[in-house]
Amino acid sequence: MEHVSFEVERGTTLAILGGSGSGKSTLLRYLIGLEQPQAGRIDIHGVGEPHRYHGVPSFGVLFQSGALFSSLTLEQNLALPLTTWTPIRGATARRLCQAKLELVGLGPFAGHLPGEISGGMKKRAGIARALILEPDLLFFDEPSAGLDPITAVELDQLIVTLSRDLGITVVIVTHELPSIFLVAGSCIVLDKTAKGIVARGDPKTLRDESTIPFVHNFFSRSSPGVPAGQRV
Amino acid sequence: MRLQSENGGVDIRADTDGDRARLAPGGSFDLAHAASVALAIERMPPSLERCRSIDVDLANLNHFDGAGAVLLAQLIDRLEANGHRTRIVEHTNPEAARLIDLYRGRLVNPHTAEARARTPLARIGAAAAKLPDTLSDAFDFAGRCAVAVPKAAAAPHSVDWRALTGLVQEIGADGVVVTGAANLLVGLIIGLLGISQLARFGAVTYVPELVVVAQFRELGPLVTAIVVAGRTGAGLASELATMKVSEEVDALRAMGFDPLRWLVVPRCVALVAVMPLLTWIGDVLAILGGFAATMAVTDMTARAYIEGTISAITAGHLLGGLVKTPFLGLAIGLIACGQGLAAQGGAAAVGARTTRAVVLAILGVIVANTLFTFVFTLLGI
Repeated sequence: MEHVSFEVERGTTLAILGGSGSGKSTLLRYLIGLEQPQAGRIDIHGVGEPHRYHGVPSFGVLFQSGALFSSLTLEQNLALPLTTWTPIRGATARRLCQAKLELVGLGPFAGHLPGEISGGMKKRAGIARALILEPDLLFFDEPSAGLDPITAVELDQLIVTLSRDLGITVVIVTHELPSIFLVAGSCIVLDKTAKGIVARGDPKTLRDESTIPFVHNFFSRSSPGVPAGQRV
Repeated sequence: MRLQSENGGVDIRADTDGDRARLAPGGSFDLAHAASVALAIERMPPSLERCRSIDVDLANLNHFDGAGAVLLAQLIDRLEANGHRTRIVEHTNPEAARLIDLYRGRLVNPHTAEARARTPLARIGAAAAKLPDTLSDAFDFAGRCAVAVPKAAAAPHSVDWRALTGLVQEIGADGVVVTGAANLLVGLIIGLLGISQLARFGAVTYVPELVVVAQFRELGPLVTAIVVAGRTGAGLASELATMKVSEEVDALRAMGFDPLRWLVVPRCVALVAVMPLLTWIGDVLAILGGFAATMAVTDMTARAYIEGTISAITAGHLLGGLVKTPFLGLAIGLIACGQGLAAQGGAAAVGARTTRAVVLAILGVIVANTLFTFVFTLLGI
């Protein structure tokens, strides 16, 4: 990956798109500080390189599987970062965790273990955990992967609602076309042959107007049995 | 009247006028100050209770985020639940008002709080209430395993026999060093104990017989079974529990396999076959341990020890111990596999079931060995 440069406006949602091997997930790992790029610079809130694993994370991340700790209840999963990074304990911590779980529709499941809830619920709980430290930036890695279409749309709508109501900036890695059009205000398209960004802008505009073959094919993907080029 | 609740840079000012009040939270109502906010809310003046109508003015808030919104929303919910009429003065800070509105009506789920607040006595009661179900599940599993055996015999292809050699290698050959070492040391201990006690009566010549009888009849099978329960029991339980939580067992079922025949039968067969061998090897090593102890601390000759040992070994002692080892192996297999297949949830369930399998397997072999000894004593064997 060589030619990647982009900015995300506060309060907006950016989707990182691309085919398999285009570097979407690698770029996300750079952005959240799990890996360091060999060259280049990442500024979050204008603070410089994201060496964030030695202090309070300034953003939340929803991993593809939800990445909840299976030995902890949902409430304990949320309480872990809260009690690690803040002096909040006891009843106040429980109230904050409960409120976040309620926010994503999981209030009654606070005492459940991740193994006892469905895949969609795990992702909702993952979002609640990502929100617990009140970040103003959230990263999502393929949030609707492995979910049925209805649950995927519900999750996308939750992301839109949270982003709008909480004023959070969202960066989402996905290749699900319905998610892209529902969630993203803008997007960048990565291509492995170009080793970087080949297009950027509003997804609907790119779909309708892009003349770049890769971008055109990406947005013109069709289900089996549907003639190629028919729009989703 | 003006009252104020202040704590750590945040304050809630309350101006009361008859049955009306105006609450003005001020300062930083954010995550960094959440503990102070909670305390300031707790210290709200009781005179507020007399007010029917309460306005919440957000103009004095410096910093505000979701954590502050949660705590203020819950305060407002609580006031309304107590019969107060509340109104947020929105125009002074519309952003904060919107966030508070987002969290309104999201009170702590009482069921969760109740579950969390269980006392130790309640937990003991809950565990006791579960006991009949636990026993019923155990008998159900044993019954289904008993049914699986003739079915496996009738349809040998329904059992994963290819895994058997690997299991024998894993349980037997790979475990012989540990079981052997344990038995060698037990033989040494019996020898030293025998010497220290029998020497007082000048009966050191009976040490070889003591080692043979104690080891062959009781300690050999028991020590071997306990080591196998710890080593193999943990391995089998965690393997099957991992398969269960990762839906491999469901996949087997979906493909028409009976997990009891495919997974449990070969493991139990391997344990039943290997346990007598491990015990026999352990018996031989225990005799060596007793021999080493006797040679080290007494004047008995090696020839006298060997002759004493040979004369002490009888078919009754040898078989009295070995005959129970397949049953101990079967108990370990059933308990470990049963616990593994009962796992539900994630990684935590695997760990919990593995621990439980080892504890129950060790307890199980001790109980089974005691029963055998009791029966043999009654029968005069």
